[in-house]
Amino acid sequence: MPQIISMKAEYLISLSFLLTFAVITNAFYVKKQFYPSVVYLTKSSTSLAVLYAQAFVFAILFGKFIQRIFLGPLRAIETEHLYDRAWFSITETCLAFTVFRDDFSPRFVALFAVLLFLKCFHWLLEDRVDYMEQSPVLGPIFHTRVIGLLSVLSILDYLFISSAYMHTIAKGASVQIVFGFEYAILLVSVITTATKYILHSIEIRAGEQWENKGVFMLYSDLILGLFRLTLYMIFIIVMMKIHTFPLFAIRPMFIAMRAFRKSCNDVLESRRAIRNLNTMYPDLTAEELGNATDTTCIICREEMQVQQSIKRLTCQHIFHKNCLRSWFQRQQTCPICRTTVLRPVPARATAAAAAAAAAPPVNAQPPAASQSQAQIPVSTARFAQPPSHFASNSSTSSTSSSTPINTAPQTSPPNFNTMGAGVFPQMPFNSFPMVLPPFAFPPPPLPPANFTGMSEETIRAMEGAELSHVQARIQCLRNVRTLLDASMIQMQQYMNIVLTQSNMENGTRLLSNLKNDTDQVLTSSDENNSRNNVLNPINENDADVIRRRRLEHYTQRLSPSTTNQENNNDS
Amino acid sequence: MALKRINKELLELEKDPPANCSAGPATIMGPGDSPFQGGVFFLAIHFPADYPFKPPKITFTTKIFHPNINSNGAICLDILRSQWSPALTISKVLLSICSLLCDPNPDDPLVPDIARTYKTDKEKYNATARQWTQKYAM
Repeated sequence: MPQIISMKAEYLISLSFLLTFAVITNAFYVKKQFYPSVVYLTKSSTSLAVLYAQAFVFAILFGKFIQRIFLGPLRAIETEHLYDRAWFSITETCLAFTVFRDDFSPRFVALFAVLLFLKCFHWLLEDRVDYMEQSPVLGPIFHTRVIGLLSVLSILDYLFISSAYMHTIAKGASVQIVFGFEYAILLVSVITTATKYILHSIEIRAGEQWENKGVFMLYSDLILGLFRLTLYMIFIIVMMKIHTFPLFAIRPMFIAMRAFRKSCNDVLESRRAIRNLNTMYPDLTAEELGNATDTTCIICREEMQVQQSIKRLTCQHIFHKNCLRSWFQRQQTCPICRTTVLRPVPARATAAAAAAAAAPPVNAQPPAASQSQAQIPVSTARFAQPPSHFASNSSTSSTSSSTPINTAPQTSPPNFNTMGAGVFPQMPFNSFPMVLPPFAFPPPPLPPANFTGMSEETIRAMEGAELSHVQARIQCLRNVRTLLDASMIQMQQYMNIVLTQSNMENGTRLLSNLKNDTDQVLTSSDENNSRNNVLNPINENDADVIRRRRLEHYTQRLSPSTTNQENNNDS
Repeated sequence: MALKRINKELLELEKDPPANCSAGPATIMGPGDSPFQGGVFFLAIHFPADYPFKPPKITFTTKIFHPNINSNGAICLDILRSQWSPALTISKVLLSICSLLCDPNPDDPLVPDIARTYKTDKEKYNATARQWTQKYAM
């Protein structure tokens, strides 16, 4: 902790010593004798405060001394962790004080301080053992220190637990229950650390190849996590029965619960992934390995040999089986494209994948993950804008190939290399049966009718059956269009007929209206004539006369057509 | 497995070092289009025993003014934590760190103060970063 004990801290420590010295000398100077001066010291709150501060300083110095012995200098990350955890722990201790405010006494505070003190060393030890994984060179001093600290801490934990137990048995439930549980949990953490230490040491002894370490780690985490969680549960239940709800235990219990859930998940998922690895993915044969261009296992960076067992995942990436198993103990995804291996792959798809793998190199090209991502956009783009099919296809394939780690084509088909463009090898035609079940969802049509952009050979290369499907589909679409055109024409004809009919109906209605009009006008004009003939023979009837003539003209014009129609009907 | 792979990676790194990086003691030269231009930043790389399965621990040993790198040199980069994959290599990681220097990620900061400066006062951020680079990395 060299940075922490900076100049400031040194000043504070010396100040504390000076104050203590001053307080004690003052007491002796005033009281002259030992006993009265001690009484004076304990009665005066100022001197008590100074003495408490001095005790705190002593505790820190003692802690540093122990740390010097058992841990040596701390690493930056260890200091950081220590501070983080210490703050949480101090807050929780203060919360605990509120629960036990009746028993509040210096002894009680001292017990909590001791607990905190020991906790710090537990955390430091945990970090130190984790550090074993990272540092290759560990001297005997390191091992002696870790073993020494482990045994000292476990003995102390045990002693505190037994004393708490005795106290509870003798005097009934009290704050000692809290200490009992706290130390029990600390003991569990010591055991966890010890297990890790033993596993790490075995691995260092065994050299590089100890593949089962991950499994042991997973299971020890699981079991000890369960212990810890159970302890917290019992603790909370007991506390609720005796005192009140222990607010200060919520955070650590939550953390323990989360850790347990995580280790449960880890165990289950890694088991499932490894089972999948063993059952679902077939070993590569020598021939398939020969077809693959890149035979370096990306995990260990070594050439894959046929005698080693090699696995191909659904995304077509190949690895050593042992490398994959070690990886699946930590994460259950493809190291290259992060496709999960946990999702159950439908049997038909795997069969198709196997078939694709067995078929000539054309199929092995695009990783299934990018296909399944690109699948939907590609097909919709095709439906939406048929003429720009190739453009959209190239853009989607480029996006799929530009996903970060998703590079590295595994096999580069020889006949595509000559084509350039780099678009066609990515075309996911051949992958349709892999992703879409062939019977439920036939592959979507490819609208551009002419394959003029490609040579005959290329078209044939893109699977004969697929091509015929596509052509049949295009033919079908054309038929549909012709039918549509025909029906359009029919519709137009029908519309014409309807229009003419309605015109004729309108004509006859007009005629009858006109007839009525003329009749009315004629009668009214007759009446007018008979009435006003003498007074205004011309002026009055001018308009009427004109109207009448016009109407007569109309009737004459219309009547021949009606007669004509009648004639037509007759004939 | 770890040692073999590390040796291979180091050989590759020496043969074909990514731009602005070197393996000897691991260093990154401040990228040209960043306020760290001209600086030489040293990094400490610790490989865990189960290396390709666990990410390497990489820290800056040179002080640097960056929202995702704290005063201890710890780097906040997803591929060094949860997004690690055995397909990644030291050279790829160094490249990622290089690009992190160019494009900090202030939305997931390790040092919130610097992130705030970066977001609100880019000029001040650039000036301070340049100043730190001159002070510590030249």
